[in-house]
Amino acid sequence: MVGLLWLLTAEQSASLLPFLRRDATWQAIQQRGVWRVGLDPSFPPFEMLDANGAPVGYDVDLAHAVAATWGVRAEIVAVGFDSLPDTLKTGKIDSIVSAYPYDERLTQDFRFSAPYFDAGLRIAVPIDSPIRALTDLTGRQVGVEWGSLGDMVGRRLQRNGMAMTLTPFETPDALIGALLDTRQVEAILLDAVSLRQAQGRGLSLRGVDAPLESVPYVIVMPQRAYALQEQVAASLQQLQARGELAKLEERWFGAQAIEEQTE
Amino acid sequence: MMQRVTILRNRRLLLVLIGVAGVLLGVWVTRSMFPAVPLGPQQTVYTRNPKIGIHTRLTDEVEEQKIKRSLEMVREMGAPWVVEYFPWAYIENEPGRYNWVHADQVVAHASRQGLTLIARLGFVPQWARPKETTPLYLDEGNFDDFARFAALFVERYRGKINYVILWNEPNLALEWGYAAPDAAKYTALLRTAYPLIKAVAPEVQVLAGALAPTLAPPGSEFGVDDLIFLQEMYDAGAADYFDVLAIHAYGWHFDPDSPPDPAVVNFRRAELLRAIMVKNGDAAKRAIITEGGWNDHPRWTRAVRPAQRIAYTLRAYELAQQEWPWLDALCLWVFRFPWDQNSYQDYFTFVRTDFEPKPIYTEVQRYARNLTP
Repeated sequence: MVGLLWLLTAEQSASLLPFLRRDATWQAIQQRGVWRVGLDPSFPPFEMLDANGAPVGYDVDLAHAVAATWGVRAEIVAVGFDSLPDTLKTGKIDSIVSAYPYDERLTQDFRFSAPYFDAGLRIAVPIDSPIRALTDLTGRQVGVEWGSLGDMVGRRLQRNGMAMTLTPFETPDALIGALLDTRQVEAILLDAVSLRQAQGRGLSLRGVDAPLESVPYVIVMPQRAYALQEQVAASLQQLQARGELAKLEERWFGAQAIEEQTE
Repeated sequence: MMQRVTILRNRRLLLVLIGVAGVLLGVWVTRSMFPAVPLGPQQTVYTRNPKIGIHTRLTDEVEEQKIKRSLEMVREMGAPWVVEYFPWAYIENEPGRYNWVHADQVVAHASRQGLTLIARLGFVPQWARPKETTPLYLDEGNFDDFARFAALFVERYRGKINYVILWNEPNLALEWGYAAPDAAKYTALLRTAYPLIKAVAPEVQVLAGALAPTLAPPGSEFGVDDLIFLQEMYDAGAADYFDVLAIHAYGWHFDPDSPPDPAVVNFRRAELLRAIMVKNGDAAKRAIITEGGWNDHPRWTRAVRPAQRIAYTLRAYELAQQEWPWLDALCLWVFRFPWDQNSYQDYFTFVRTDFEPKPIYTEVQRYARNLTP
């Protein structure tokens, strides 16, 4: 029997022997009625401090919404971004909800939820642009923030043979201005957070095609928190189905006037 | 009859074993003569600014091909100087038994790429420190062991390495094995190692200091202000036991022209360290910045925007070249990590772990090699 268990994955073993499935994190959340969520309140609009020093933002509301589906309360614990994984490992928090990018190298240490926001690199164009896909950038004037991920990917596309002209700008605002105000460029490469914020300010921008580089934000949990992971997955699905995630996005980024085109 | 068959079988087995041994010997000899990763032809660094340098991080890079590629890309960027860490514990894990394989690879490839290599020495093996201490802790009773290792290191690489840094950021408790930083004790370490190094390679330049820029208040458990620590080193007689001051010059969110101020950590804090050298009669001595630069992490409080990072970096190299005659090289942190650190540290790099050049790499290369956009 022991030998058989060695051949099985952790999940398969756990399904055979219920006592192995014990998820201490999930049990503790239920017992105390509190889900301790770690975040670094320095990344608006996902997390920041309000005038009274209380944490607010997309992730704070997301944590409260997920906790509510379990009938418990979310307790927000402010932790520096780089210290979040260690804080989770030491059991001082139950999860990280802090615009935390998925990292496959950490799957031995942690469990992850499905992404709830992709902050990756997008192509953005004015709403009246004929550009519909990456291939349409050939022969175009494309703007990037100098030194950014967009700049790096733009140079990579050029090295790989895409004939487009790359123009650098010093800030995201200057970049967007060159696209919408001066029409100096026909498309820009911009991270999805900045794009969504610009849309929320009412700027006539739309993202086209899939992200050129994906940066999915996920909820991070302890490695042995099987049950918690399942509960988080169910809650996110539930919130998605009820339109709560879309409302959260609108609350913290502003309304999105233009339908995204990712095909 | 049975005995004869057994003898024949044993002879056959012996022949097979001899054959296998012969093949293995052949492979070993061939590999010795023809390394798995050829060094390639001798290269030269072409640059408009001979002070450009970078700190590589090859310590944990296990693939020789990647060691070579890193150093090739440093040369291609137009940086003649590299700083690299050679942990004592990796080389002498047991007393008197040495594993030079990795260090040999780094030194050979750096040399072949035409780079001037500055070797940082530190990281204490378990046998040379008390149990329950970190590899950054060294008792005075083991200073001789470290000094002997340092001398052996410079002797082995004589002609290929002319600069060694003794220890790193001894003014921080973290880097001093969580003991209280002590300038007099660090000076004692220099006093122990310096003569042994000079005895085997008098031309080798011994770098000391490499102090962390910090505004730690008096009595802080974390460290000692670098300006105070350097003066305490001089007070303890350090001047006679180093040839070049190693400086760490981080800009945090200040531009490289922000004026020096003892109450601020910025790039030109290096000038304050230089002033302490001059004040202590060490004006003739040179300095090298062995760590420094800017970070463009989107969330780190000490970071700048990516465009600022590029502009500040180019200006810093130019400032070092035009305005700091006492400085031999500006080696910024850090060229590349073998794998992502998953922290703000990733935003100090010039190339990604997969060797894709970041824009800052391309812009420094353009500046250094006078390339047109």
